[in-house]
Amino acid sequence: MILRQASLNRRLLVGAGVFIALALVASAIMIDFVLHRFIQGQIDQRLDTQIVFLSSMLTVGEDGVVAIAGNADGPPFDRPAHGWYWEIVGPRNQLRSRSLAGATVDVSEFHRPPHGEHPAPAEGIGPGNEPLHFRIQQARTGGTQVIIVATAPRAAVRGPLREAMTTLAVSLAGLGLALIVAIVLQVRLGLRPLERLRRAVADVRTGRSDRVPAEQPLEILPLVSGLNGLLDQNAANLERARRHVANLAHGLKTPLATLAIALSEPGRGAAGELHALVVLMERRIRHHLARARAAALSGPTRARTPIATRLGDIANALGKFNADKRIVLTQSVPDGIAVACEQQDFDEMAGNLLENAFRWARGKVEVKARRDGGRSVAIVIEDDGPGLRPEQIPQVLRPGERIDESAPGFGFGLPITRELAELYGGETTLDISPLGGLRVTLRLPLAI
Amino acid sequence: MKVLLVEDDRRLAQEIAQALRHENFAVDIAVNGEDGQHLGETEAYDAAVLDLGLPKVTGADVLRAWRKNGRNLPVLILTARDGWTDKVDGFKAGADDYLTKPVRVEELVLRLRALVRRSTGYAEPRIVCGPLAFDAQTGVFELNGLPLRLTALEWRVLACLTLRNNVVVERYDLIEKVYEGDAEADSNSIEVIVARLRRKIGHEMIETVRGRGYRLTFGAT
Repeated sequence: MILRQASLNRRLLVGAGVFIALALVASAIMIDFVLHRFIQGQIDQRLDTQIVFLSSMLTVGEDGVVAIAGNADGPPFDRPAHGWYWEIVGPRNQLRSRSLAGATVDVSEFHRPPHGEHPAPAEGIGPGNEPLHFRIQQARTGGTQVIIVATAPRAAVRGPLREAMTTLAVSLAGLGLALIVAIVLQVRLGLRPLERLRRAVADVRTGRSDRVPAEQPLEILPLVSGLNGLLDQNAANLERARRHVANLAHGLKTPLATLAIALSEPGRGAAGELHALVVLMERRIRHHLARARAAALSGPTRARTPIATRLGDIANALGKFNADKRIVLTQSVPDGIAVACEQQDFDEMAGNLLENAFRWARGKVEVKARRDGGRSVAIVIEDDGPGLRPEQIPQVLRPGERIDESAPGFGFGLPITRELAELYGGETTLDISPLGGLRVTLRLPLAI
Repeated sequence: MKVLLVEDDRRLAQEIAQALRHENFAVDIAVNGEDGQHLGETEAYDAAVLDLGLPKVTGADVLRAWRKNGRNLPVLILTARDGWTDKVDGFKAGADDYLTKPVRVEELVLRLRALVRRSTGYAEPRIVCGPLAFDAQTGVFELNGLPLRLTALEWRVLACLTLRNNVVVERYDLIEKVYEGDAEADSNSIEVIVARLRRKIGHEMIETVRGRGYRLTFGAT
């Protein structure tokens, strides 16, 4: 079906257009029919009056000769050759209207109505071959049978009818046009909720909202409820999957911890080697746990995480964790800046970066944040540690076991941070800090 | 040094306890949050190792309850939860350190020793008292620069006295910090241990404060 794929708009317009056209044509035909009958009726009445008039003036002599007392040629029967004629056929002679100018109309083949009945209609042609409308009556006057005929030109019916129908056609066309305009407007208006729904669904997809608003027209409401139900179900499934992955990871870690400690007991020769395997397993679990979390994100969300307090909390935790290193942390993060990330994900990104900074710093870590244009926030974390050589920079952003092994601390948190940042439409850039160590700039979308 | 270990996985708890005892720690084990909280509130510990996912009462609730009741022993959270949100929550609940499973025993021991040392007010790992030196990082005692060989009980008593250098340590306090919860503490045994220690490091180093306890001194008498 072409219509199934065509737009609803066109579907409604084509449907309505066809119906309107059919209705207008049908009404035109009806009106033509009614008008025709009306005009015909008028003319018949005129002719019948003439017949009555003629029969009232008709006299029949002893010899059966018919005659008319007085002038029966009132207008329009006085104008020659216009189609308005009359004729009286008696047994011996015939009388004709002046308009016939001596010619005659042949009525012999017409059906004659029985005596005394109303005049009967008939169609025929006149002396000048003009189409005529006849009214024929058979009357008996003083025992003599006469036929009285009155005619009118068929143009007398057609003319006014054509005139009326022309005017009517114009107004019907106007009506049709007005109806189509009304339907276009109605379709637009009627389809507007669908357009709103489309935008709402787009908002859900881009993460600007998490549900489709429930204030919808009655007809769309079931669809929207179904959609929201699906979204809820999807979110629940996602949450369940996340939880399963987390449970699996945590469940694996406790036996792994037991294994790690059992391996480090004295008397186990290959402990170092085996412990490396345990560490590798742990890293793989952590990596895939983080991936599972990250993959569950389908795009930027409406989440809003104020960063000043979170960065403070994380730095505080790291300060305790590195209590013996006595690292001086300078934090200049304006209050009120928030990023459009889930708090857990922001914690993960900021935590990994700050952890690296604290691990490598000799004595100083700096955290700064500022609005970066109208739509993003730049969080800059630097340390005064050994830093990285420029050629190492692309390497540490790539997840890979070789880097894990060669440089513990790098190559693990950074790829996860970068992956998370990119999922939120942000980015992570690395360069050399004026403090001497690494400078990481994390750009994240600003929460409005 | 006596540590409370709150861990619901009994195998892991046994492994950790064994590893810690090997490093001279006295270890009490609680396998659920309720018991852990009770032990932490009624017994004296130098530090606690606390799991977060515990039956009955969660680790975070145990920690908050301790802090609310004024128990300020150093607490190390040892958990499988490695997310930063969990870490921040753990520190906010009052933790002093946070390690994720699996953990290397060496790392756990180092961090526990550092926690105990810091909680007694020493910023530097090396504590010196005359000819006696204690490296709180490695747990090694030296006398005149030579490593001192000590039994686990001797080590615990001496560590306890060293960390409270020049302060009188009550006898019952020593007993609490030296013996594990289920051990039969002989009231005379502390005297026996102190006597053995005096033979190893010199009689004058440990002063008996009559009716109260002992004090580690250097050349005061």
